[in-house]
Amino acid sequence: MSQGFIKTTENNYLADSKRGSFEFAEVGVNFTKSFTDQLRVGLQLFTRDLGPIGNYTPQLDWFYLDYRFWDWLGIRAGRTKLPFGLYNETNDIDSARVPILLPQSVYPITSRDYLLAQTGAELYGRVPLEGAGSLEYRAYGGTIYLDTTASASTIARLTVPYVVGGRLIWQTPLEGLQVGGSVQAIRLDLDYQPPAALVTKLQMDGSLPADFRGPLKIEAPVLLTVGSVEYQTGDLLLAAEYSRWRAKLESPIQVLVADTDTVSERGYLMTSYRTAPWLSPGLYYSVFFKDVDHRSGRDAYQHDVAATLRFDLTDHWLLKLEGHYMHGTGALASAQNDNQPTKTLAADWGLLLLKTTAYF
Amino acid sequence: MLALGALAWLTALGSFPGASAVAGETEFRVIVDPDNSTTSAPRELLAEAFLKTSTRWPDGELIRPVDQRPESTARKGFSQSVLKRSVGAIRSYWQQRIFSGRDVPPPELDSDDAIVRYVSEHRGAVGYVSASTRSGRTKVVTVK
Repeated sequence: MSQGFIKTTENNYLADSKRGSFEFAEVGVNFTKSFTDQLRVGLQLFTRDLGPIGNYTPQLDWFYLDYRFWDWLGIRAGRTKLPFGLYNETNDIDSARVPILLPQSVYPITSRDYLLAQTGAELYGRVPLEGAGSLEYRAYGGTIYLDTTASASTIARLTVPYVVGGRLIWQTPLEGLQVGGSVQAIRLDLDYQPPAALVTKLQMDGSLPADFRGPLKIEAPVLLTVGSVEYQTGDLLLAAEYSRWRAKLESPIQVLVADTDTVSERGYLMTSYRTAPWLSPGLYYSVFFKDVDHRSGRDAYQHDVAATLRFDLTDHWLLKLEGHYMHGTGALASAQNDNQPTKTLAADWGLLLLKTTAYF
Repeated sequence: MLALGALAWLTALGSFPGASAVAGETEFRVIVDPDNSTTSAPRELLAEAFLKTSTRWPDGELIRPVDQRPESTARKGFSQSVLKRSVGAIRSYWQQRIFSGRDVPPPELDSDDAIVRYVSEHRGAVGYVSASTRSGRTKVVTVK
């Protein structure tokens, strides 16, 4: 279980952070049972509070039935974590890494509901390559059940007809070096109910059919790709990832919601080193561009330089201190900043995080 | 003098024949169950076994790795020599695996004698003990 504190010098980020916020906590419990050497079941209960997100609503994070036929083929069914990039599956496991926040360009904590797990099936395995290392693969397909109670009042329904994807990692002959790529295709279907006043206005000027009552059915296909490289030797970790996300909106009535097609660009470089059994410093640079075709303006990007100190106080209790220098407002939300446009928010700001975790 | 210098350099790299065996004699020995046909095993295979990325011996028998407690001297030596990572780094590895639902770590036992008992009683088992421990019915395996 974890409890954190978040404070920004300017702008609210993730929570009401300008004033300092303790709305940064999570609790997870998991159970795993092996029935045979090849058959296993597991589940995890999780609850969190991050600003306006979570509010300690408990959820079944993942649950699965796993049968491993051979090293090169296993199957898993249920709600399983999405293998996207190097660290998506451990995004909410504070004890498994040095930074408090993984690089948000590739692992946005606010998108956890969409990126964490899918309900469906997955094939996985590891294939030795006779002197050329080994290949680890994972391929999955299913859907994501979303809690829409906190959605905007104009969204009548939000479903995910499909999510499919996979990850391929080459464990190279150089021990500790792995290179890989992940791809994920997901579609969100929304029923959008436009405000009545807008409908009336558009119908009066002839832009909208007179018999339109709504809702407007919108499809939002998204394609996420990431290339990854990681090198671990002893207690040193070096990692880098580059990602592009292509998000479309496809609307049958352009005057209400126009089609869009946006490609965002994301990446980071990260390192950490366990200098002593009780101390691990870490450092990363992360960058995010909202739209590769529009890179100028403070709200178009987010640069993030972060430094962390992890203190392992005992075998089951740790403390982390992390500071960020942020340049840009691309990762900020207007709704958390008095609905001010993000291009008017402070371009240079700092973020301080403190977090303690007990784990067993 | 040149030969002595080369010898020192090769030993430091761990590439001098027998360097691994010397490390094993002073820190730990790897043991397998008495019915296991393996007499020597590549370090990489043992690493894969204890990280559970490989689950079968070359003869197809299921591998059953067993660990010692993190504070054990034998574990520290095994972790550095075979897994090439500290016990703390391996702990983080298992935290990731456990909380992503991927797998669970090998069982941890309290003593060398407990390891010997477990390995002798479980087909396919592999463990490590202090170099001075009697291996009982188990078989000592050379790490290549």
